[in-house]
Amino acid sequence: MITVQLNGSEVQGRPGMTILELAQENGIDIPTLCYRSELNPIGACRICSVEVEGARTLVASCHTPIAPGMAIHTHSPKVLQARKSIVELLLASHPDACLVCDKANLCELRKLAADLGVGLPRFRIRKRYYPLEDVSPYIVRDLTKCILCQRCVRACREIKKQDVFAIAYRGFDSKVVVDQDQPLDKEVCRDCDVCISFCPVGALTKREEALVPKKGIPLIMKG
Amino acid sequence: MADKSLPQLLASYRERKHLLALLKEIQEVYGYLPGEFIPEIARSLGLPVAEVYGVGTFYSFLSARLQGRNVIRVCKSAPCWLKNCELIVETLKRELGIGPGETTRDGRFSLQLTNCIGACDQAPAMMINDTTYVDLTPEKIPEILGGYK
Ligand code: SF4
Ligand code: FES
Ligand code: FES
Repeated sequence: MITVQLNGSEVQGRPGMTILELAQENGIDIPTLCYRSELNPIGACRICSVEVEGARTLVASCHTPIAPGMAIHTHSPKVLQARKSIVELLLASHPDACLVCDKANLCELRKLAADLGVGLPRFRIRKRYYPLEDVSPYIVRDLTKCILCQRCVRACREIKKQDVFAIAYRGFDSKVVVDQDQPLDKEVCRDCDVCISFCPVGALTKREEALVPKKGIPLIMKG
Repeated sequence: MADKSLPQLLASYRERKHLLALLKEIQEVYGYLPGEFIPEIARSLGLPVAEVYGVGTFYSFLSARLQGRNVIRVCKSAPCWLKNCELIVETLKRELGIGPGETTRDGRFSLQLTNCIGACDQAPAMMINDTTYVDLTPEKIPEILGGYK
């Protein structure tokens, strides 16, 4: 067993376990975005960052293993500030389409923003707009909303043993592409949907659920 | 132009870990990475097309289009940015009449932006072919360009 200090109390963990897993076992809630327990962690989003005394920078708890004597702070002011900034940065390039987005209150980004009390970003708003991809009979992709967590890429690869997606380009231009950046239209996507359930935002939707006119109740009656 | 054909190149790079070396050699031999090679590279190394495309588009030293005789790569990473590399790009644009990603009509120069080339201590920096130029000012540009035919 490995003994570490977690938010001031001494706790025990097993070798090889990550800081995130240890925290979860001890009832401490660390937010995550690119992490999913079913997938290999890649440390892409940094929302799960925690402070480890003596470490040069904050570390991503989802892929950092515990070590003997570590003193970990999961909710220190520094950590909260970093998490807030990350969400602000994500929002600075995220379309303001929440009102009409089908992900609605299931959106993990929106939930994080609410939990962390993030308001309008302090950063320069800079968006990237991509055409809606609706050629596939199974999946509609709206990459304008994509936050590049790579959950779809990994779910397709690790769970379905397919390789429909990969990341291309660099920096702000990074994008989840299919083949040589063609709109998604693959026959292997029939009867699958796995990536859709992994997308934390509204970038992936089932064809039959997207693009259907909403049948709302009219609020105003004329006549 | 090409002294090695694609099948010859593919034959000397057989594993996934050779992907970058292969792309680099194709870039050297052909002057760019032709899009129609990508599916063949993927098949040969047993990789998804998207992954080969992803690696090919990540590196600014791999180009998707045929380049001019001399390739100018101006560093756009943070330290050079802080030392006003934009001014260097503007000067080059004016001198050459082309923007980043373009090639002059006579094929003499291509202008590219690149990520850090390791000369941050002497920013702003750029490379022309394999030569690095540092501590750039707009005044230095015409003379540097004059050295290339
Ligand atoms: S499409 Fe969704 S799951 Fe895929 S990288 Fe973008 S946000 Fe993540
Ligand atoms: S959840 Fe840990 S880095 Fe994204
Ligand atoms: S940032 Fe320009 S050389 Fe490093």
